[in-house]
Amino acid sequence: MTPPLYIALRFLMHRKRALLLSLSGVVCGVGFFICMQAQTQGFAKYFIDSTLGSNGALVVRSRFEPRQLDSIVPTKTSNTNVAHRQYFEGITNANEIMRVSRKFSNVVSCSPVLRGTLSARSGFENATVELYGIDPALHLQTTDLAHQIAGGSLYDFRNKPDSVIVGSRLAQTLNLEVGDTVQLLAPGGQYRRFTVAAMAKSGVGTIDSTRVYGHLRVAQTLLHKPYPASLIIYKLRDPDRAPALAQHFENLFQHDAASWQEREANTLHLFLTLRLSAAITVSLVILLAGFGIFNVLTMTVLSKMKEIAILRSMGYRRRDISAIFLWQGGMIAAVGSLIGCIAGALLSWGVSKIPIHLRGLLSTDYFVVAWDWRHYVWAILLAMISVFIASYVPARRAAQLPPVATLRGSSV
Amino acid sequence: MKLGAFLSCQDIERYLGEDESRVHALRGVSLEVEPGSVHAVVGPSGCGKSTLLYILGLLDHPDGGSVMLEAEAVSHLPDDELARRRNEFIGFIFQFHFLMEDFTAQENVMIPMRRLGRLPETAMRDRAAGLLEAVGLSDKLQRASRHLSGGEQQRVAIARALANDPRVVLADEPTGNLDTKNSHRAFELLKNIVQQNQMALLLVTHNPAIAEACDWIHEMMDGRIIASHARRSG
Ligand SMILES: Nc1ncnc2c1ncn2[C@@H]1O[C@H](COP(=O)(O)OP(=O)(O)O)[C@@H](O)[C@H]1O
Ligand SMILES: [Mg+2]
Repeated sequence: MTPPLYIALRFLMHRKRALLLSLSGVVCGVGFFICMQAQTQGFAKYFIDSTLGSNGALVVRSRFEPRQLDSIVPTKTSNTNVAHRQYFEGITNANEIMRVSRKFSNVVSCSPVLRGTLSARSGFENATVELYGIDPALHLQTTDLAHQIAGGSLYDFRNKPDSVIVGSRLAQTLNLEVGDTVQLLAPGGQYRRFTVAAMAKSGVGTIDSTRVYGHLRVAQTLLHKPYPASLIIYKLRDPDRAPALAQHFENLFQHDAASWQEREANTLHLFLTLRLSAAITVSLVILLAGFGIFNVLTMTVLSKMKEIAILRSMGYRRRDISAIFLWQGGMIAAVGSLIGCIAGALLSWGVSKIPIHLRGLLSTDYFVVAWDWRHYVWAILLAMISVFIASYVPARRAAQLPPVATLRGSSV
Repeated sequence: MKLGAFLSCQDIERYLGEDESRVHALRGVSLEVEPGSVHAVVGPSGCGKSTLLYILGLLDHPDGGSVMLEAEAVSHLPDDELARRRNEFIGFIFQFHFLMEDFTAQENVMIPMRRLGRLPETAMRDRAAGLLEAVGLSDKLQRASRHLSGGEQQRVAIARALANDPRVVLADEPTGNLDTKNSHRAFELLKNIVQQNQMALLLVTHNPAIAEACDWIHEMMDGRIIASHARRSG
């Protein structure tokens, strides 16, 4: 232990009340910061997981052609001229596209979907629904549908072509239970009857309140589309690289491709804004803690002028004196951060047990928190920086105090 | 300048204060301190005794003249080097003891040793205990310094000044606020230890009896040493 550290420890221990005050400031700042980040990121991550699990990381949609005839040969940059494209609904060569795209290392699996908007009827209830005609085996590989089943059985759905899976909130609207019959109105005008084999709950409001999953072949006959798929959903090994792959697919297939980042840009932006504003709010707490430490250390320097003069007369260097006060700040920051991290973790855990009945953008029964070590690193870093700044000024001041002035002041 | 002098100063000038309150506190003071000698500095209040002591102790810089420590001029040394020399070669004792309040007697004595960093913790502890025993405080090692009497505090300050086995001890009215009995005890103690260890002692005092017991008496007046005389041997 260096002499300044030793003396710093002794000084701290003899100002217990000030120590506790400074400590609690850091603990609160760090704890709140972690808990806030855990919550805001928790909801964002929950949303991302849900949307990835239901709609995939990447979607290939309509075919397009460059509108200008003079650029017949598509160049690498042709797809940037989005305005000059002409879109054609649907994917005619879905199998070919899927065969090629499976060769990409980032692609885990892909699944064709034939999508259409229909009217649904059950008893006296009506609703507009979005029918997803899927190949059950492929779709289960590509999405989290298997884990989203809330009531009923996937097995029944796979084995009965005339069965559907209904979104959990849609089922509530239509008053449907597993085993009930639901009627879907085809564009031709006649109703077809389906058995509800299962319910799906993705957690994303817009999906759960509109979606109906049916078999691809049945959807084809029901929707009368001239193409076999309206979109292809992809599951990726690294969803963060979806935008680049989407770009690549557009060039390669001449089909519109959208990453989940592009698709959910608005919502993601909202979450980011929330996280930032929470971070700013809590940073204020940390700043306040820093200000408290600044006060405490300034007071300590004033009350230890005599000791500082003695130490200097005994051969302690200026930097030893400033080290004494920097160490005090450092120890408050270190211990405060440690306790703050524990407090933050406990707080996050506690928050995750708070029941909340959310049925909007997301649906969940409890607060969602994310466990991410980076929150802790950030909190500690913030605390360290603010405490360092708070200790630096008093420490410098202590080092610059001329010992003779103090010695004279008491002995003349 | 004698070769034997460990610490000396030559023609020291020192001004204190700013503008109207500016005082010519030292006006060409020269002094030499040899190992094993005991010096008393006497003079009326405000004549510059403390100022001289701080300059000799490398705590303050003179405006003119030079301070030599072991035949080396120290005026151009950086602050860290001065601090190192204070730590290693000089022991200070002040009128108001200046102990670290929340530290025990033993811990106070160990503080200079920690800075020097030559001894392991246990050896420092033992040495501090030995020094405190020498000043008659072996039963108060663990007592917090503010729970010691004035005389006891001054004895802890003496032990602390001797902690790093300095070459010279500088004392500014060390017995100034002790009663006669305690003053003499503290002075005799300090003088014996210094002489036994061939250290030098320079002390500022108002006590004629104490001054008379020193090898040299330097009389100061208005920033000058007006007379230096050796004690009549006997
Ligand atoms: N900071 C200061 N500003 C102006 N004058 C000072 C200051 N400090 C001390 N003095 C003056 O310098 C002179 C010498 O002071 P000092 O060395 O403390 O005297 P002594 O120790 O002999 O009583 C005194 O006249 C004192 O008033
Ligand atoms: Mg004085």
